[in-house]
Amino acid sequence: MRKKIQLGVLLLLAVVLVLLPKVSPFFIVFVATEILILGLFATSFNLMFGYCGLLSFGHGAFFGTGAYVAGLLLQHLQWDFIWVLAVAPLAAAVGATLIGWLCVRLNEVYFSMLTLAFGMMVFAIAHQWRSVTGGSDGLAGFPLTEVGIGLDIVLANPFHFYYLTLLIVALSLAAIYLLTISPFGLILRAMRENTERVAFAGIPANRYRLYGFILSGLFSGLAGALFATFSRVAVPEMSHWTQSAEPILMTILGGSQYFFGPLAGAAVFLGLKTLITSYTSEWMIYLGVILLGMVLFLPKGIFGLLERWLGGRT
Amino acid sequence: MLRKLLVMAVVAFMAIGFSLDAQAEGTVKIGAIYLLSGAFSTYGQFAKNGIELAADEINSSGGILGKKIEFVLEDSTGKANVGIQAARKLVYQENVDLLMGLDSSGVAKGLVPVVPELKKPFIITHAASPDVTGSLCNKYVFRISLNIAQNTKAAALIAKELGVKKWTTIGPDYDFGHQSWEFFGNYLKELDPEVVLSADPSFPKFKAEDFTPFINKVISDKPEGVFISLWGGDLINFIRQANNLGFFKQNFKVLMSLGAATEVLTALGDQMPEGIWVGTRYWFAANDTPTNNNFVAAYKKRFGDYPSYNSQGAYAAVYAYKTAIEKAKSFEPDKIIAALENLTVDTPSGELLIRAEDHQAVVNGNWGITKADKNYPIRILDPIRIFPGKDITPTPQESGCNMQ
Repeated sequence: MRKKIQLGVLLLLAVVLVLLPKVSPFFIVFVATEILILGLFATSFNLMFGYCGLLSFGHGAFFGTGAYVAGLLLQHLQWDFIWVLAVAPLAAAVGATLIGWLCVRLNEVYFSMLTLAFGMMVFAIAHQWRSVTGGSDGLAGFPLTEVGIGLDIVLANPFHFYYLTLLIVALSLAAIYLLTISPFGLILRAMRENTERVAFAGIPANRYRLYGFILSGLFSGLAGALFATFSRVAVPEMSHWTQSAEPILMTILGGSQYFFGPLAGAAVFLGLKTLITSYTSEWMIYLGVILLGMVLFLPKGIFGLLERWLGGRT
Repeated sequence: MLRKLLVMAVVAFMAIGFSLDAQAEGTVKIGAIYLLSGAFSTYGQFAKNGIELAADEINSSGGILGKKIEFVLEDSTGKANVGIQAARKLVYQENVDLLMGLDSSGVAKGLVPVVPELKKPFIITHAASPDVTGSLCNKYVFRISLNIAQNTKAAALIAKELGVKKWTTIGPDYDFGHQSWEFFGNYLKELDPEVVLSADPSFPKFKAEDFTPFINKVISDKPEGVFISLWGGDLINFIRQANNLGFFKQNFKVLMSLGAATEVLTALGDQMPEGIWVGTRYWFAANDTPTNNNFVAAYKKRFGDYPSYNSQGAYAAVYAYKTAIEKAKSFEPDKIIAALENLTVDTPSGELLIRAEDHQAVVNGNWGITKADKNYPIRILDPIRIFPGKDITPTPQESGCNMQ
């Protein structure tokens, strides 16, 4: 029964997302695009947090790397977009390999602190290396290229970009989902519960954590590349700790124990932000109060609440 | 139950919010993007004051071609991607006719290339990056405020007159600080090939709290002139600490490219040293014209303060739009854009000409020497030096704009 409800909801969501641009006001397409991209970022973050039990405070590093690599490739080489989307996440994955190799040995707050430090190191590089990254102003005004492989998609067209994003995010989420239910995903989850017991079972825990970290960085980089193209800029703030904090907030809002929790959290976070800024310039305090209330009263996130409503576990 | 109701209420609220489309007939809607949150949110507040004042004045005297002005503000938060999304929201959701704003160069550089997609005219009133009306220029974007090139050209002209040869800088460690020093140095070298520019200038972190090491370093380097491009809260902190360390009693000349901002002078009061060359994009006492006198009086009456340059910039932009629309006799974006080109606007900062070639306004630079005056609560400029726009604005060829 529960499976059927889930499948139904998922199908309904897919229909809504596909039909959205046809029925919604134009600007909603932009908000939805942003939600999808940051939802992917939050989901890839949650691969470490929800499944591996490691709270990374430095995922902005991979998001930013993806954004900058995409920006640089578009600015200097004008590659077809499909290749940009292939290479930028790989660059982020390389970064995740280096950073992860050092970080996964640590647990809990030490892991969080080290990822935070590496994240800010990437920010400092983006901010200071003016000749390559454009310094504090970042990369701006890069051209949008063809998508490539014969696809007739215009990146500058918000509808086209929305559907492209929807497709890429859907494929990525499917891939991440398959990972989480695979034996590999089970090992990650087992480590979340008790790393030592997993190690005693003969599984090289750190190596599996590193694999998780690299995959998480890879998809974060993909989200960053999409975000830079959507925003038309790659700026140092995209690797700042405040950027790293966004997926954390989104994940907690949506529910870290649910696969679609981070995506739902992204929708609520960005929806509220877009809405409140229309009414007041002191939007941060209102958003803060609302988020505080949601975290306090919905400890399992939106999905936890929904599940209770639908009469699942209590 | 209560919780269910609460959630439903939030959802309903969101649905209503998104479907609201408040475009009343007979209004012209301006969307403005400024820094409204964080440490530098006073700049957004100043801009808001300027827009409010201009809109009320125009509305109470018949509006623009009979239409009343309505304005919506959005927060850039100082991030380019946020600013771009805000502009999209203003155009597609709020249906604004005209755009204006931008405090941060970073936001401006990111947003300007996207404006042609939005197909609305955009007047920049603060962000100073030369690229915006240079390599990144486009048909839709205009700037009526002083840019880095203009302000540093004026600074270089003063530096030449001061006659000292060995210069260094203290500037914020982001693109604005580095670019200010590059432009200042290049202009000064042109004017006087004998000057020596420090190979090791000081760039404290933006929003740094402690400037002591940099102050001590400059004092021990013994330069003959120091060009300072710190601004806002950074400049206030710097001057307080520099006073304590005797920085202004040393044997070197000091130029502050944004030292005459009224918010800085107000915060410092009599801690602002006298006899220092300071610049600003607008000085309330620089022009004895009816436009300026009316503006200063109305501003002071309404907000209780002397107008800062950001208020003036925003105020002037609204009037620039009014002048252009009346010239075009139309609210069509393309016609407004055509009317803005080569337009002369009477602003509190003097008459300015918006060039057709790169859409940069040829606008006056204001500099002066700080002086105490018992009639004012803040340090004032005496003498005032006004650099006419034509003397300090690089040619369109030099600005590198290729207008399409």
